[in-house]
Amino acid sequence: MLDRVRRHWMLYLLIAPILAYFFAFLFYPMGQGIFLSFQKAGLLGPVGFVGFDNYAKVFSTPAVWQAIWNTLIIAAGITIVGTLVPILPAIALLQITPDWLKRGFQTAIYTPYLLSWVIIVGIWLNTLSPLGLVNTLLLAFGIIDQPINFFADPAWARPMVIGLTVWKDVGFHALIYLAALLSLSPDILEAADIDGANDFKKIRDILLPHLMPMIRVVFLITLLGSLRTFDSAFLMLNGRTADQIRTLAIFTYERGILNFDLGLASAAGVVLLIVSLLISGVAQIFTRTRPET
Amino acid sequence: MLKSRSVRFLSYAILIALAVTMIVPLWSVVATAFSSKFASLQPGIKLWPETFSIEGFETLFRRLNFVLPFANTLYVTVVGTALHVLLSAMGGYVLIQQDLPGRRIIAGIILLTLTIPTQVILVPLFVVFKQFMLLNTLLSLIVSEMVSAFSILLMKTYFEQVPKSMIESARMDGAGHFKLLRDFYLPLALPGVLTVTAFQIVHKYNLFIEPLLFINDPQKITLQIALQSVILGESATSTNDFIAPNVTMAAIVLALVPLLVFYPFMQKYLIRGLTVGGVKE
Repeated sequence: MLDRVRRHWMLYLLIAPILAYFFAFLFYPMGQGIFLSFQKAGLLGPVGFVGFDNYAKVFSTPAVWQAIWNTLIIAAGITIVGTLVPILPAIALLQITPDWLKRGFQTAIYTPYLLSWVIIVGIWLNTLSPLGLVNTLLLAFGIIDQPINFFADPAWARPMVIGLTVWKDVGFHALIYLAALLSLSPDILEAADIDGANDFKKIRDILLPHLMPMIRVVFLITLLGSLRTFDSAFLMLNGRTADQIRTLAIFTYERGILNFDLGLASAAGVVLLIVSLLISGVAQIFTRTRPET
Repeated sequence: MLKSRSVRFLSYAILIALAVTMIVPLWSVVATAFSSKFASLQPGIKLWPETFSIEGFETLFRRLNFVLPFANTLYVTVVGTALHVLLSAMGGYVLIQQDLPGRRIIAGIILLTLTIPTQVILVPLFVVFKQFMLLNTLLSLIVSEMVSAFSILLMKTYFEQVPKSMIESARMDGAGHFKLLRDFYLPLALPGVLTVTAFQIVHKYNLFIEPLLFINDPQKITLQIALQSVILGESATSTNDFIAPNVTMAAIVLALVPLLVFYPFMQKYLIRGLTVGGVKE
């Protein structure tokens, strides 16, 4: 054993900087976060242990409950819509025959996934502005009498965050589904043809069950990602929408970095971590046990 | 695959509708960017610049010094991506050594990092970067996500497909770890290396939270932050001068150019990578 360890010293040397990096820039900050959440914050840093005072403050601050509520609603919207909607373009892409056209569609719907949130918000600020393309069309067709200010209307704030997130990821998720659909043997569909199954039946009884494992994977990664919503809501945040879309991650940033209330912000960060671990744990158990039944 | 006419028609309808939500807004951005200030302020549908003009781009460069954020982002992207790929390859290489004592513990630590997302530790990250004196340095952006569990695992998956017999015979000839990695694994697993590279380039180019958190020196400003201040109108060029849509749209067009240049070369890897990652679960 010791001899094997000695023989492989070079490999330990290769992995050492990576482990050192993870300890210094992930585990150590995580530990700092937990440490700070039990400290009273002074101007120059923590000044003493205060037990669960910060947590008591977190749960007695109405803004925190609002932020938790916002996070949960936005995450639920993104997860449900963002998992189900991409199934449609994935099945649709299967039907497109000229290869160049198929690739063109793939590129067009996948591209937003690669764009930064700053660019996405910028593009849609232009298209959805009160003087912009969408409002002009809606007015012209008489669907609305007054232009909708999509980015400054509290009622539209959450649907905008959810909608743009789903739009950004739809191509990414559709391509994951498409890869799974392409692994389906064509024989099965041919057999279904011989049995006289129609298209609706083929989708319901063959394609969707075949996609199920991948739907579970996409569900989990979307859920985890959406609980951490920051960039999108942060960029769409303004005086009129703040109470609807200030997520817990944004709350910790505002309190910790802008107001320098390190103790409270760290405690809120720990709460966010625990909530997301709990939800993803429950979701994992839930999605694992279902196929057996 | 499916036979009926209505399904075929519906498929085209869905894809065209989705593609339109991508292409039309983007095209409208380009049309506005090449409009004059006055034309860009008019209401309505802009799919062609009414008065062709490049004053938006001129304003961007003359008044807002848009070259600096590009240079900073280029530096962070190139150096950051190179380090990320190198470290991820090293990690992947170590993880495929079946007979390494402690390999499971190392893999466990790497997997554990997946449970700590940046957005959850924003405040402590700020404190720690301050302790390390990385605030207000471009180095802080290179250091953020210098290596990641996702990239290490992707490299490992590709390295595992390199034929063992080839490695064995190279080892017989006396090849050491560095030679094996440089002359065998990296070239033979090139699609994997390029996938990690492509995703990391996009990631570094789009970096937003980290510069927001770590940098407030105007000399160290990166592209996405400069873009944010132009788009959301937070940068005061001068008090009597506001930023018209043609300027903000010109900024978006400029930020898209590097991606459009890079996209055709890397598209294959960007798409392949996500399916490998997805299938692996």
